[in-house]
Amino acid sequence: MKTLTTLLAVSATALVLASPALAAELRMTIWTGNEAHLKMLNGYAESFKATHPDVTVKFETIPPGDYTQKLTFQLAGGNAPDLGWLMEDAAPTFATANVLEDLAPTLNSAKDYDFADFSKPAMGLWMTGAKVWGVPFSTSPFVIFFNKDMFDKAGLEDPLALAAKGQWDMAKFQDVSKKLTAANGKFGFEFKDGQGYDSRIMHALMPPIRAYGGDVWVGKTCGFDSPQSTAAVKQLHEMVFKDKSIVPPGEKGDYFSGNAAMTINQISRASLMPQAGFKWGIAPLPTGPGGESPVIGQAGIVVFAAGKQKKLAAEFVAHMTTKAGVATAAQFFPPARQSVLASDAFVNSNNLIPPAQMKVVGDAIAKGKVLPAHEKSPQILAAMKPRVDALWRADANVESALKAVCGAIQPLL
Amino acid sequence: MPRPATVPMANDDPPWLSLKMREAMEAWLFLGPTLAGFLIFFAGPLVAVVGYSMTEWNLLSQQSTFVGLKNYSHALTENPDFWLVVRNSAIFALGLVPANMALALALAIALSRPFRGVVVFRTVFFAPVVTSAAAWAIVWKFLLQGEAGFVNQMLAYVGIAGPNWLREPNWAMVAVIATRVIKMVGLNMILYIAALQAIPRDYEAAARLEGASSWQIFTGITWPLLGPTTLVIMVITTIGSFKVFDHIYLMTGGGPENGTLVLAFAIYEQGFKFFNVGYASALAMIMFVIVMGLTLVQLAVRRRDT
Repeated sequence: MKTLTTLLAVSATALVLASPALAAELRMTIWTGNEAHLKMLNGYAESFKATHPDVTVKFETIPPGDYTQKLTFQLAGGNAPDLGWLMEDAAPTFATANVLEDLAPTLNSAKDYDFADFSKPAMGLWMTGAKVWGVPFSTSPFVIFFNKDMFDKAGLEDPLALAAKGQWDMAKFQDVSKKLTAANGKFGFEFKDGQGYDSRIMHALMPPIRAYGGDVWVGKTCGFDSPQSTAAVKQLHEMVFKDKSIVPPGEKGDYFSGNAAMTINQISRASLMPQAGFKWGIAPLPTGPGGESPVIGQAGIVVFAAGKQKKLAAEFVAHMTTKAGVATAAQFFPPARQSVLASDAFVNSNNLIPPAQMKVVGDAIAKGKVLPAHEKSPQILAAMKPRVDALWRADANVESALKAVCGAIQPLL
Repeated sequence: MPRPATVPMANDDPPWLSLKMREAMEAWLFLGPTLAGFLIFFAGPLVAVVGYSMTEWNLLSQQSTFVGLKNYSHALTENPDFWLVVRNSAIFALGLVPANMALALALAIALSRPFRGVVVFRTVFFAPVVTSAAAWAIVWKFLLQGEAGFVNQMLAYVGIAGPNWLREPNWAMVAVIATRVIKMVGLNMILYIAALQAIPRDYEAAARLEGASSWQIFTGITWPLLGPTTLVIMVITTIGSFKVFDHIYLMTGGGPENGTLVLAFAIYEQGFKFFNVGYASALAMIMFVIVMGLTLVQLAVRRRDT
């Protein structure tokens, strides 16, 4: 009897030891549905199996327009994903609300990770002291996309050539926009995705304001009504209503379908260009009295404190953001790792953009500043919107409209 | 074999329940499902919203603090945007309700009598009611673009320079009211047609014999007899106008310059953009009181007039 009991105990132990570890599934929210992006992300999940053979990753796409809101509902509803992408304007709000997990312990202990390789300015939004709330996977500067055919038709040098000669500044930008409009019968310039008067206010106003040497706010002080900001916005207003060279509010003039000669966007939009049917290129943002001042948009990967597999999720973040991981993503999402940014592999990574133009992207990341963010970003944007609307009337008083913007957002800052 | 009539029928009912109790039990059984639905889906959430409205609750951080009536006092006495929102909601209702009812009545009078093609006309005017609200708003947003918009190009044909409809605060309100009226007028038209067809023809015939004009027949016979229907239409249209959200969200987003920021949209912004569930709940309660108050006033006026 004793022998039988021992035999049973040994067999049971052997069965337990021989059985595989419990399989785990990580759920990650993203806002892309692009096939190439999903293929890359699934590639990360596949290579993660080398160290975590029983872990699978499920990617859940939420449309970008509703992303932050739906993510919040998931968190509030007790259905937190393990990890996800986060837009730069939501980063401070989420970090302050204590819904993000500190990734520093995992990243600092990950083998060959080299956390110091991430550029310090690029990490600014994602760190509080030594705590790391997220790792930026995209540090994408805004560049000018131009329609080369329209420049040729107008007999004008394109922005890339002008930038090479040091002549691509705000005055030239206004001049060529006006000439392009006259020569092509199409608008010279369109704000980002045609939404500069609505959901992309910051993307419309920030680049010229910074080119003029201003900023929308610095610390707790509003900068919309500074002389630099006022001069920048006056120029835009003149281009919209006097020159009629920028697509005005309430009108459509899509660059990607050939209805505007230039626009401002990030290189991920280059994926739309093969179908555009015209010759194109990218160039840096025009400089101004404030010198070169590239503007960068960011997005990071975060782990949610309410997730059930925080440690595993943090390990997956570390896996995706190693030097090799970041180099893989660089074809779509410009990197925050300095070693990748400086590599030849980066300038050759995008098969739609020639190396000389990818250098524009690299330079902008090195010299640029991230778009402003604040823990009360949604309230600030909502307070700004009606006051900025007042700017976009033909008879607007730019100074008083900008003062009203500051009056509305200063208490929130 | 048939049971002899003298043999008493066996009583299957439990002897301990009186007839009154049995009837009450049956009534509760029939009422139960509806009552449960009412409590779970209406009374419960309403009580919960009252509770939430007395908290400072951040949806994202899940931190909630009891603040009593602070949210109400903030809305009513400190936040200037609140009164702008109430004003916008009132303008929307004052613009939409009379226009919708007048147009619905006019269409109903025109389409209540049989003529060739009447069904086609009724279908055309009713079709927007069953059209997706999102599709409707997006199409109109496209048609109401600035100079290049279809509406302004049509106006230009007749020498009128149309405004930039959705970018100028006053015109944006006109545009959302007008497109909402066109969208919803068909429903009220059908209600009026049903009411008109229920009025006996003899009344009109008798009035004509007495020499009454069409206008006299309308004001003296038709309009008074449409009273109950008019009240129902006025109540549901007023409630609907205060609850409007999808139309505003898709066409103007509350802009420009907060010119179309109405109560339901402000509640959405507070709750789902700024995650201030407590303040959003307070606004929702204020909206509930306004709509309930208006409905009671309409019912009282109707009762007084009859």
